[in-house]
Amino acid sequence: MKDLLIHSGEVVHKVFVYGDTLPARIIVERDGRVDVVVLIMPGVSEDLKLDVELVGEGAEANIYGAYVCGADERVKIAVDMHHKVPHCNSRQLFKGVAGGSSRVDFYGKIIVAQDAQRTEAYQENHNILLSDNAKVDTKPQLEIYADDVKCSHGATIGRLNEEEQFYMRSRGITLEDAKVLQMISFIAPVLENIPEADREQLSVQFEDAIRNIVHNS
Amino acid sequence: MANDILLKIEGLHASVEDKEILKGVDLTIRKGEIHAVMGPNGAGKSTLSAVLAGKPQFTVTAGSIELLGQDLLAMSPEERAWAGIFLSFQYPVEIPGVTITNFMKTAVNAHRAGKGLEPLKAGDFLKLMREKMAFVQMKPEFAKREVNVGFSGGEKKRNEIFQMAMLDPTLAILDETDSGLDVDALRIVANGVNALHTPEKAAIVITHYQRLLDYIVPDVVHVLKDGKIVKTAGRELVAEIEEKGYDNL
Repeated sequence: MKDLLIHSGEVVHKVFVYGDTLPARIIVERDGRVDVVVLIMPGVSEDLKLDVELVGEGAEANIYGAYVCGADERVKIAVDMHHKVPHCNSRQLFKGVAGGSSRVDFYGKIIVAQDAQRTEAYQENHNILLSDNAKVDTKPQLEIYADDVKCSHGATIGRLNEEEQFYMRSRGITLEDAKVLQMISFIAPVLENIPEADREQLSVQFEDAIRNIVHNS
Repeated sequence: MANDILLKIEGLHASVEDKEILKGVDLTIRKGEIHAVMGPNGAGKSTLSAVLAGKPQFTVTAGSIELLGQDLLAMSPEERAWAGIFLSFQYPVEIPGVTITNFMKTAVNAHRAGKGLEPLKAGDFLKLMREKMAFVQMKPEFAKREVNVGFSGGEKKRNEIFQMAMLDPTLAILDETDSGLDVDALRIVANGVNALHTPEKAAIVITHYQRLLDYIVPDVVHVLKDGKIVKTAGRELVAEIEEKGYDNL
């Protein structure tokens, strides 16, 4: 695993799907920007570690991730977002669905160095549990040593909303289709960040995978 | 004539979380009729509509419901919709991330699949949507909005009647459709319901107040109180209730 270096002023957009090797570190220099989308499909167990370092002023990193687990997958995601200098922005958005007897662990940390003033850093992890045997553990963490920063994190674990399901079914939408619609719309804010050339194809793959999980559960 | 019966409810008892709400409801609706179900808060009006539509949280403990001779209680909510039931919700549900277009396309094609028909062609579907949105005076840009998300009370109710127009049900159940509506929205909604009514269809208008029934004129009026229908009469009953209140009937 090599480092991914985003040079000064460079803009890089990357999508990693199952089987791709993530860089050990992503280093973003002055005014550079990196957008990363990580997609984990059903049937894939992953242990992801992502270390992002914002080392030049004006650097920006946006990390998006979606995972869909329907069987006995083990997915572990750990992100360390280091704000080392002032005036950098970062955003993390991870959303996923855990069914079957799968297990998801999410550890996300934002580390803001003492002189990294005017940092803006946001992190969100939202999960839907599809079965009583699936388990999600989410641990968002903030380590902030500067005093002039905007940082937030949030994590939720929920279930598919039954009021929505009944509303859809009362319009003739089958329970299966209702669940698929709910899950697709849940993951959509992540998929929107896939570069346009690949978005359609990968979204269809996700929809098919979700449909399979619903059908077999 | 027995064969013009559209809906027959007999001895219906229903509970939610072990609390009995409906305590023996009998109701027969013939084709072409509009029935009003009125009653005080907590009488079981919304429970009746939820049970007709098949809401899973409600348990029917006794009685039967037949729609055109079919056993409604044996059907899932979606099967009931395919059979011609439509419930206009008192509180339409917001579905973040799902656009009205996608929602209605899935619904219309599910109805078609239920009848063994092919999905509607994209162009035909959009044309139908535009037509029905205009029918309830919904702006075309609503097609791209997420279902009910950020809608005003009036917009939500118009969206209900738009969906009703798209699905063209045999039995429309309007649950407190007048709540939260100003007079203009009330008129649009009522005109919509009246325009969709034919001698082959029926409607149940559930309401606490007379207001909506000035616009959608019922053939039969029932008073539901403490889980039972305590009085049934013609439309003159509406004025009597307005005058005397529910307590003195």
